[in-house]
Amino acid sequence: MRRMKISVGRLQDRLKGDRLLGVLVRRGPLILFGLLLVGLAWRAPNLLSPSSIESSLIQASPIAIVAFGLALVVIGGGDDVVVGGIDLSIPASAALATAIISDQLTNQQATFLQAFLFGVAGAVLVGAVNALLVTVVGLTPILATLATYASVGGIIKVLTTNRRINVEHPTVVWIRDESLLGIPIPVVLMLLTFAALALLIHRTSYGAKVQTVGGNLDAAVSAGIRPKGYVASTFILAGLAAAIAAVVLVARGSGMSPGIEERLLVDMVLATFVGAAFSARNVVTVPGAMMGAVLVAFMSNGLILNRVDNSWVDGWKGALILIVVTAAALQTRRSRQ
Amino acid sequence: MMSLEVGPPRASLLAKASIWLVKYAFLLLFGAMVIYFTSQTEVFLTSSNVLNILRGSVIVLIIALALTVVISSGGIDLSVGVALDFGAWFAIVSMASWGLPWPLALVVAVFAGSLIGALNALLIVGLGVTPFLATLGTFFIGRSIQQIGTGGGANINYRQAPEGFVALTQGSFFGMSMILWIGIALIVVYFVVLELSTHGRRISSLGMQQTAARVAGINTERYRIWVYVGSAATAAIGGILLSSGLRIYTPLAGFSYLLDGIAAVFIGASMHRDGRPNVPGTLVGVLFLVTLGTGLDLLGIDFNVKAALKGVILVIAIALALLVSQRLPRVEAWFDRLGKKSRA
Repeated sequence: MRRMKISVGRLQDRLKGDRLLGVLVRRGPLILFGLLLVGLAWRAPNLLSPSSIESSLIQASPIAIVAFGLALVVIGGGDDVVVGGIDLSIPASAALATAIISDQLTNQQATFLQAFLFGVAGAVLVGAVNALLVTVVGLTPILATLATYASVGGIIKVLTTNRRINVEHPTVVWIRDESLLGIPIPVVLMLLTFAALALLIHRTSYGAKVQTVGGNLDAAVSAGIRPKGYVASTFILAGLAAAIAAVVLVARGSGMSPGIEERLLVDMVLATFVGAAFSARNVVTVPGAMMGAVLVAFMSNGLILNRVDNSWVDGWKGALILIVVTAAALQTRRSRQ
Repeated sequence: MMSLEVGPPRASLLAKASIWLVKYAFLLLFGAMVIYFTSQTEVFLTSSNVLNILRGSVIVLIIALALTVVISSGGIDLSVGVALDFGAWFAIVSMASWGLPWPLALVVAVFAGSLIGALNALLIVGLGVTPFLATLGTFFIGRSIQQIGTGGGANINYRQAPEGFVALTQGSFFGMSMILWIGIALIVVYFVVLELSTHGRRISSLGMQQTAARVAGINTERYRIWVYVGSAATAAIGGILLSSGLRIYTPLAGFSYLLDGIAAVFIGASMHRDGRPNVPGTLVGVLFLVTLGTGLDLLGIDFNVKAALKGVILVIAIALALLVSQRLPRVEAWFDRLGKKSRA
C-alpha cells in the first residue's frame, strides 16, 4: 500500500513536471519575448512612458495590418510553410500602394479618396496575380509570392525612379498627427482592420470555410467546398490589407521612401509567427498577429532606446524567429510522441 | 472508310508535333529571345559577348546547383546568399588581415560558408524547424553578422590580392578562362552525384516521399544534413569566385543571386519528364536568366526599368514553365483519346 502511494505520488510529480515542461515549451517564445522586453525596459525605463508606448503602438500598426493579411493567407493555405499558404509579397504590395498614393497626392493633385482607390487597385492587382499563379497555374505560394515580391520591387523603382516622394496633403497630416478619443489615427485604423478581419475569419461562415480549406483540405472537398476560390480570396484580401497599411505608411513617413518593403517583410513574418504562440493550439490567428506586431514594435523601440546598434537589430530579429519556430517545432514533436 | 484509314496517322503526326511544341516551349521561347536580341543589337551574338554571358553565368550557376540539390530533397535554402557572402568575406579577410597564403584562405572560406549550412542542418534536422523559416532566420542572422563585422556594411578592398587567387577567375587554362573550367567542373560533379549516383536517387526520394524513403532504410537525417552543409559550401565557392573577380568583398551582395537561383531550378524542373529539379535543366534555366539580363543591358534599358522587366519576365517564365509541365500529360492524354476515337 505504502509503496503504491509513493509511486502514485511520484507519478503525479512526474506528470506535474511534464505539464510544466509542456507549458514552458508551448509558451517558450512568449516567455523569452517577455524576458527580453523586461530586460530592455529595465535598462531604458522610458520604454514604458506613455509617449513611448504610444509611438510603439503607432509603429505596430502597419506591421499588424500586413500581418493580418499574411494570417489570412496562412489560415486559408495551411501552415505547412513549404507547400502551405504564405504571402511574402504583401510588404511589396504595401510599398507599391504607398508609392501610388504618394505620387497621386503630390504629382497628380488627386483627392485623398482617389489616391487611396488607386493604391487599393494596385495592391489588389498584385493579390490577384498571386491568386492566379497559385490557384490556376499551380505554383507553390512561396515561389509565386517571392517572384511577385521581386517584380513589384522593380515596378516600384520604375514608378518612383528610386527617389523619395514627399507628401504634405492635409488628410495625410491629419492621420499622422491627430487622434480619435485619445487614440492616434494609425492605431484606430489598425483596430478597425483587426475588428473587420477577425470577425470575417473567426466568426462568419466564409471564415469557417477558409479555415477548413487550410486545416483539412480533404475534409473541405468532401464537404463540397471548392478550395481554389477560398484560397484565391485570401490573397485578394491580403492585397486589400496591404493598401490599408499603405495609408499608415504614407502618413508615418510623410510620403514614400525607397526600400520600406524590406524592413516590413521581416517584421511581418516575425509578428505573424510569433503571434501563433498566443493561440491555444499554437496556430496563426488574426488576434495573434496583432499581439505579435505589438511585441515586435515594442522590441524594436526597446532596442533603439537601449542604443543598440542598427546592425544588431536584424540579428536579434533573426534569432527571435528561430527561437519561436524552434519552440513550435519542439511542441509539434512532443505532441506526436 | 477512307477517314478510318487516313485518320490515325494524321492525328499521331499532329500529336507528335503538339507534344514536341509543348515539351520544348521553353527552349523555343529562349531561342526567340536570342533571335530578338541579335536583331536589336549588333554585338549580341559575337563570340566575346557569348563568352561574357557564359562567364557571368558561373556564380548564378553555382547558387542554382546548390539549390537544385536542396529543392530536390524537398527543402529550400534562403540563406545561400549569406553563405556566398561568408565565402567572399573570409577569403578576403584571411588573406588581407590574417596573412594566410591563398590556398589556405580558400579552405577557411569554404569552412566559414559551411558553418551557415551546419546551423541550418541543426535547426532543420536536429530541431525539426521547417526549412523555409530556419533558413530565413539564418539569413537575417548572417546579414546582421556581416553588418556588425564590417562596421555597418562597408566594402573591404584588397587590391594587392595574390596572383594565384585572382587567377581563379581571370587566369586561363588551355585557352579557356579559368572560371569557366571551375563552372564546368562543378556541373560535372553535381551531374554525377545527383543524376548518376545512388546518393542522388536517395536525395530525390527524400523530396518525393520522405516517410517512404525512411521506411526503405535510407538514413534520411544524414542525407538532409549533408544537403544543407553541401549547399552552403557550394555557395561559399561562388563567394570565393566573386571576391577573386572583383578583389573586393561587398557585404550582403549574395542576396541578389537567390531569386535567380530558385527561378533557374524551377525552370529546369519544368523541362524534366516528372517535373523534378535536375542539373541539365538548371543549366538551361541559368543561361536563360543571364542571357535575358545581358540582353536587356545591351538594349540600353534604364536600370530601374530593367529590374522591373526582369522581375515580370521571371514571373511569366516560372508560370509558363510550370504550366507546360502540367499540361504535357493532358495534351498527350487528349491526343491518345482522339487517336482511340478515330480508330473506333
